[in-house]
Amino acid sequence: MGTEVAYTPFELMAVAGARELKNGEIVAVGLGLPVVATFLAKRTHAPDITIMFELGVIDPEPIHTGVGLADPRVWYRAKVLSTFVDMLGSVLHGGRVDVGFLGGLETDVYGNLNTTLLGDPKGKFRHFVGSGGANDIASSARRTIIIIRHEERKLKEAVSFITSPGYIRGGQERAQAGLPGGPSRVITDKAIFGFDPESKRMTLLSIHPGCTLEDVLNTMGFKPIVPEHVPFTEPPTAEQVRIIREEIDPEGIYSG
Amino acid sequence: MDKVVTLSEAVASIPSGSHVALSGFAITRAAMAFAAEVLRQGIRDLTVSQCVGAMDADLLVGGGAVSRILYGGGSLDRFGRLACVNRAIEEGTIVAEEYSSLSMVFRYMAGALGLPFVPIRSLRGSDTLKHLEEVAPTAMAYVDDPFTGEKWLALRPLNPDVAVVQVQVADPEGNAWIYGPRWDNEEQVKASKRTIVITEQLVPTEIIRREPERTVIHGFRVSHVVHLPFSAHPSSVYRVYDYDADHIRLYAEATKTPEGMRAYLDKYVYGVKDHWEYLELLGGMRHLSRLAADPILGY
Repeated sequence: MGTEVAYTPFELMAVAGARELKNGEIVAVGLGLPVVATFLAKRTHAPDITIMFELGVIDPEPIHTGVGLADPRVWYRAKVLSTFVDMLGSVLHGGRVDVGFLGGLETDVYGNLNTTLLGDPKGKFRHFVGSGGANDIASSARRTIIIIRHEERKLKEAVSFITSPGYIRGGQERAQAGLPGGPSRVITDKAIFGFDPESKRMTLLSIHPGCTLEDVLNTMGFKPIVPEHVPFTEPPTAEQVRIIREEIDPEGIYSG
Repeated sequence: MDKVVTLSEAVASIPSGSHVALSGFAITRAAMAFAAEVLRQGIRDLTVSQCVGAMDADLLVGGGAVSRILYGGGSLDRFGRLACVNRAIEEGTIVAEEYSSLSMVFRYMAGALGLPFVPIRSLRGSDTLKHLEEVAPTAMAYVDDPFTGEKWLALRPLNPDVAVVQVQVADPEGNAWIYGPRWDNEEQVKASKRTIVITEQLVPTEIIRREPERTVIHGFRVSHVVHLPFSAHPSSVYRVYDYDADHIRLYAEATKTPEGMRAYLDKYVYGVKDHWEYLELLGGMRHLSRLAADPILGY
């Protein structure tokens, strides 16, 4: 403890994600960094977290890294193997998911996410993966955490297509649409953001060590709310970095 | 009742213009041998549906057999995009009703349970919903909760003409076991007018009767049973074989361009008479035995 430890931006993001999770929570995750963050939390401060994959998997203990949710490597030693209706229906739509992790092509000042297309929806566009369970998680989880690379083209004033709603156009719009919860955090490789309780605009919470306020603001497509005092993000501990490298992602597939 | 037929006979039962629910999820339990045979028989104008787009739908779209797709988005996981589906959407050659995973499975579920509609929290406030209201205006409506007065989005039930489901174990009547997660497959089968079961292993009904709690497909819903090993290749079948990473990479690369897709189809679909010739073309048992699943790991 207390000693400086070398880490990658990815590892810092995974640790920041893990810190958002409380013991006993039910977490809906896709693949990649959210899985690393959730397994890290489960192996440190939150051993009683329940991990859920949309296609019907609860609490797997993979020993090999998978290429996606469709890879049996990520189902290994699960406690439950069931169905969409069971997971996204009874667990998520039934109101039992505390936290959902989401990523995307782009997000905006109100935490709306686009995973569907880039370009003009009515004209020339490039089509991508679409929703999967992302829209469902964004609609029914008690809160969501967005993990996204810190680039101007990914952090926009308004996304070109809302696949998964955040606070829509701000204020009370999300509640008026009949949706509970909403995004609580946005974790990038330069900073962590929250949302203003009234306007629901993205608000800078902390800057990662080694980054400056100018760098954070100059590399995003809108101006977030910037409080007078913005602390640095707490860096990972040596033990957290060790667990990621030796136990969770030894092949360096996600963290490399 | 013995419903065991060849793949060719089962596929021939599907008229052009049918709505086919497919069992694949990205790169696992995708109905690949089925999709190839549909293309060889020249069946056209299909509507295909599944909760998460998979390689089976991509091959059917790439071969020009599909005019409409209902799905919740999808990919080849880290191997890449569903290039044929994405290209067809971008060029407007198919109509895509894009849902979320849960809204698709709720439509199947309503169809399975014989409900007139199912309310859902998903899709509200999204452009996904706005797009659906344009391409499928009769698939959804708003209803008032009769108990609280709250306004809900309601989805129309979905009843495909036929579900085509890859399973690990089935008997000649079509009673089937699916090992591993089952995503939307049970609801697809129960919502569809009939089901074609494609199984890796064919067992006597006596085996099914010994562990009937494992049965997820009811035999009476099944019209045809096809016993065909490696029929989901190159996708995986949990506890039977792993995905063929090299072949999926080859597919992902080929499908990046229409010319590449054409060459892939000419070699692996139209260049072979049937699934057995396809397996020989891959390298036969010498190649396939390397994909066999470890009994403890399941892959």
